[in-house]
Amino acid sequence: VEYALQLGGFDPDFHDASWTVQPLPFANMWDRYPMINGRGYPDTINPAALAAPAENGGVQSQVESSLITATQGDRVLLRLSNLNITVAHTLISPSIPMQVVGIDAKQLRSTSSENLYYTTNSVSLSGGMSADVILDTASVAPGEYYLYAANLQYLANFDEDQPTGGMMTKIVVSP
Amino acid sequence: MNTTTIHHRTSRALALAVAGALAVLGAVSAEAQARIPGVAVTDGATLNFTAGEGEISTPDGGSIHFWGYQDIDNHEGLGAPGVGLPQYPGPTLIMSQGDTVTISLTSSLHSNQCTSMVFPGHQVTASGGSAGLLTQETCPGDAAPVSYTFTASEPGTYMYYSGTDPDLQIEMGLLGAIIVRPSMGESYAYNHADTAFDHEVMFLLTSMDPVIHQLVEQHRFAEVDLTQRWPVYWFINGRAAPDDLANAFVGWLPHQPYNCTPRMSPGQSLLVRILGGDRNQHPLHLHGNHYYEVARYGRLLSSDGIAPDLRRGKFTTLSVPGQTVDAIFTWTGEKLGWDIYGSTLDGMPAHSCQDIVDNVTGAAGADGYADLDADYPWEYCADHDKKFPVTLPEKQNLAFGGWWSGSPYMGTGGALPPGEGGLNPNSGYFFMWHSHAEKELTNFDIFPGGMLSMMVVEPPGTVID
Repeated sequence: VEYALQLGGFDPDFHDASWTVQPLPFANMWDRYPMINGRGYPDTINPAALAAPAENGGVQSQVESSLITATQGDRVLLRLSNLNITVAHTLISPSIPMQVVGIDAKQLRSTSSENLYYTTNSVSLSGGMSADVILDTASVAPGEYYLYAANLQYLANFDEDQPTGGMMTKIVVSP
Repeated sequence: MNTTTIHHRTSRALALAVAGALAVLGAVSAEAQARIPGVAVTDGATLNFTAGEGEISTPDGGSIHFWGYQDIDNHEGLGAPGVGLPQYPGPTLIMSQGDTVTISLTSSLHSNQCTSMVFPGHQVTASGGSAGLLTQETCPGDAAPVSYTFTASEPGTYMYYSGTDPDLQIEMGLLGAIIVRPSMGESYAYNHADTAFDHEVMFLLTSMDPVIHQLVEQHRFAEVDLTQRWPVYWFINGRAAPDDLANAFVGWLPHQPYNCTPRMSPGQSLLVRILGGDRNQHPLHLHGNHYYEVARYGRLLSSDGIAPDLRRGKFTTLSVPGQTVDAIFTWTGEKLGWDIYGSTLDGMPAHSCQDIVDNVTGAAGADGYADLDADYPWEYCADHDKKFPVTLPEKQNLAFGGWWSGSPYMGTGGALPPGEGGLNPNSGYFFMWHSHAEKELTNFDIFPGGMLSMMVVEPPGTVID
């Protein structure tokens, strides 16, 4: 199974300035809505498309779920890309190791075709980078696991005092 | 006459001109190669530097007080003879592997600041001055300069910067680049054939918070709080876009001599030296193709120390503070699905895609690319004479930019409204090479600017230097 996870974030002040036709605050840009596939947790694990906000004229703009489901034994390919225009992100998968097989759409191989794959619990991506990682669930007990930003301030939907949000999603391994 | 005139060439005329140019250039084209400007250091030379103060210009009309290394002997012809000017970044030292240099440094900083230089990656002997935390330091009014001597034993891309209050002094501008050419020659990045290149460009990435610079200018050092640093200007080789696209050594940027104008022709190799010069990360994103990172920190990505077998194909390099990365980029238009030099199906004159020789090895046999003596060297023959797959809108339905030649075909212009297209005299292809932290593509809130350059793929035969 494979899933594409696109990292990003919004600075609400910048978007409000654009919406209200004000000078755009590039210098102060500060993303406080970290997202995966255009949603912050817990919306990331909603398998359905999000309902359209009233202001959106009925158009559903957040259709991509980030919920990862697998049957034990599956090899799960995660196609990671960071579309962020302010900061680099580090994703960690503390329970299921990630085998990095490609970076920037190139398989990790030496010029003599030597295998350069490596296994890790964290992958760092700046804006404009991509990585392909494989989660091998063969020896993973069925259950729920999490994949999230290692910079914990990104586990928020604007308000860091509220329960966990932001750049996190769930990996469900079923028997 | 207006600027559209030069674009009313037929492609046949251009093809003939290119063919003629290639015939003429055959012997000299190997010499028409872009190299990074800087101070060519001869073995055993002593460079006399001081740390001085000045103002740099930003494209939004601003100026920022800065501290910079100043080459007193003025090898690069900045300012008055025999004086030089503080420059941002400091002089790029171009050395040959095995050569030794001594840099003799004094401090001319008005605010009675001591300073120094460190050279990560090199074994330095420092003498004179007074002992500092990292190295020997020099202070304003010292009777004698401090001197640093090192041998450039390994090829690669390196930096030098202040070793005194580096958090402040590097922010103020006291840094520069060192390029060490391998003993194999100046057309190689390292001592291996896989690091050969035709052209070379530097991306020394830095940023500034003008609040800090203003406080320093006013000698209000107690109010400088580097924990609150918030950069709003971003630079490549000391200039913010679009100033980095101007020529090097233009008189109107006296303290910022270096530009960043990567150019190449199809099939050529462009060595990109990326240097993380400030305290932030910058994801440098090169459009147009994958490139190969062949070295980091002045060392080949190699399992045996000889060949760059661990080189990696990338489209973004996350430049981190203090790191240098050497990358080799090439472009042929391969697999675009159409002939970049024009199609007879579009009413263009025919050209051949002769491919009987391997361009790299010189052996007989097709390699998929037009031969070096063909009409268009490195043309991707599988797409030969295929038509551009889009019907372009009528001109009244188009917006124009300075880089659009009026035609999608390389080396061919089309009719343009008066005043348009003047930034692309050779009808090349432009690709933006920039920080993917796109808030850095601004000059204090003004887009576009900052850490952005344009790479140009010029038609075969264009003289690039």
